[in-house]
Amino acid sequence: MRKARFWGLLCMLFVSEVQPASDPDEERYEYTEGQSLTLGCPFNIMKYASSRKAWQRLQAGREPLTLVSTDRPTGNPSEVRVGRYMLTDVPREAMLHVQMTNLRVEDSGLYRCVIYHPPKDPVLLFHPVRLVVTRDPSATLAASDVPTPNAANIPTPAATKNLSSAGSTTPTQHLPRSPTVVSSPDPGVTFTNVTSVVRYGFRGSRLLLWVSVFIFIVPVVCGFLSKALVFIVLFAVTKKSFG
Amino acid sequence: MERRQQEAGPGAEANPRAPPSLRSPQRKVRRPGVGRGAPPPGMSTSLAVAAGALLALLGLGACCSPVVARSAWQARAPGCSQRLQHPLRYVVVSHTAGSPCHSPASCQQQARIVQHYHQQTLGWCDVGYNFLIGEDGNVYEGRGWNIKGAHTGPTWNPISIGITFMGNYMERVPPKRALQAALNLLDCGVARGFLRPKYEVKGHRDVQQTLSPGDQLYEAIQSWPHYRE
Repeated sequence: MRKARFWGLLCMLFVSEVQPASDPDEERYEYTEGQSLTLGCPFNIMKYASSRKAWQRLQAGREPLTLVSTDRPTGNPSEVRVGRYMLTDVPREAMLHVQMTNLRVEDSGLYRCVIYHPPKDPVLLFHPVRLVVTRDPSATLAASDVPTPNAANIPTPAATKNLSSAGSTTPTQHLPRSPTVVSSPDPGVTFTNVTSVVRYGFRGSRLLLWVSVFIFIVPVVCGFLSKALVFIVLFAVTKKSFG
Repeated sequence: MERRQQEAGPGAEANPRAPPSLRSPQRKVRRPGVGRGAPPPGMSTSLAVAAGALLALLGLGACCSPVVARSAWQARAPGCSQRLQHPLRYVVVSHTAGSPCHSPASCQQQARIVQHYHQQTLGWCDVGYNFLIGEDGNVYEGRGWNIKGAHTGPTWNPISIGITFMGNYMERVPPKRALQAALNLLDCGVARGFLRPKYEVKGHRDVQQTLSPGDQLYEAIQSWPHYRE
């Protein structure tokens, strides 16, 4: 048993990255509820200064959902706000700033910035963003804390005046029309049982133990083992040449 | 390949060649007549020191080539205070569009000229670039890894390292040793934690309205492994 564990750790030496199973190109952003996500998506100033940009949510088995997009810019900075989403396009600085305020757990998922120029395929900017929003650990166990699905990402009509969905000819869904569109991808997050709030979605403390082993201990051991390996090789070589 | 004559800059690593103890003449004297079983005590301690030094170098990124320190090119004192947050994601490559230089002496002078222009004429706290590359194949320390530069505007300066090639590269490329020096510098940045392992290189003209870094140099950097348009 111990030997098996040792060889398992040794095999990890040859694994360059110890990460949760996900696309290595994704950038992971972790927040607690109520915080805001801000990030910058650079674009090529020569190619895309005057292009439309969009912030989209990627959902398995569905078209990307455009949450907010810019109008046709004139090369000047422009800002568009749709509900909790905001895009600030600064063409002269080749940067698109994204902001999502007042994050909810159900915001967790995969997002991306794109150059939005149908009928051409969207151009990915920056990296796919893996957003992970967890409940505030100090949140009370009161049932009133449970956010109702209806209060999720429905944009208010007033803020959408910048978007002209009437002229849209794209296949992507433009605005969510029902609360069921926004679904929580997190496997273990439940709101029904009050006492389950304490678990924060983990399937058990044993899983937590193994996750912490792999995330903390294995890289340290790998680093030590790789350096020890180098030392042993060097020792053997120099001992050989000096008798 | 003609290489740097200057002392390594602040934060540069120890000589990447083997530490002296491995080349010490003492070793050769002890070799005959020593029992094959246990190594002589003096040898094992110097071996341990050597191995330890090598391991330390490996840990610190032993492949870091020396950079010509500010003191070596007689830079004026900097007055900048804003720091960069590491690790950085972006590197912006530009050119000075000024005169090139081909020897350490002329490149040191050129670096001073650029600094003078930025500090005295433009009134900046220091030369704007984090590093300057000369056609002599040397990297000249500007603001360095830690201080925010003034090379690409208010959005990019806080999130990038600005390196510049001293010369005008619209119609010619820098020599290979200069391009290689820049790549070595960036490898060093990753090894020492100043740049993310997956950092991205941008041409100055990719993120600002400018001709910099020049048509030819821009084309050259587009084949760099970390270039992303």
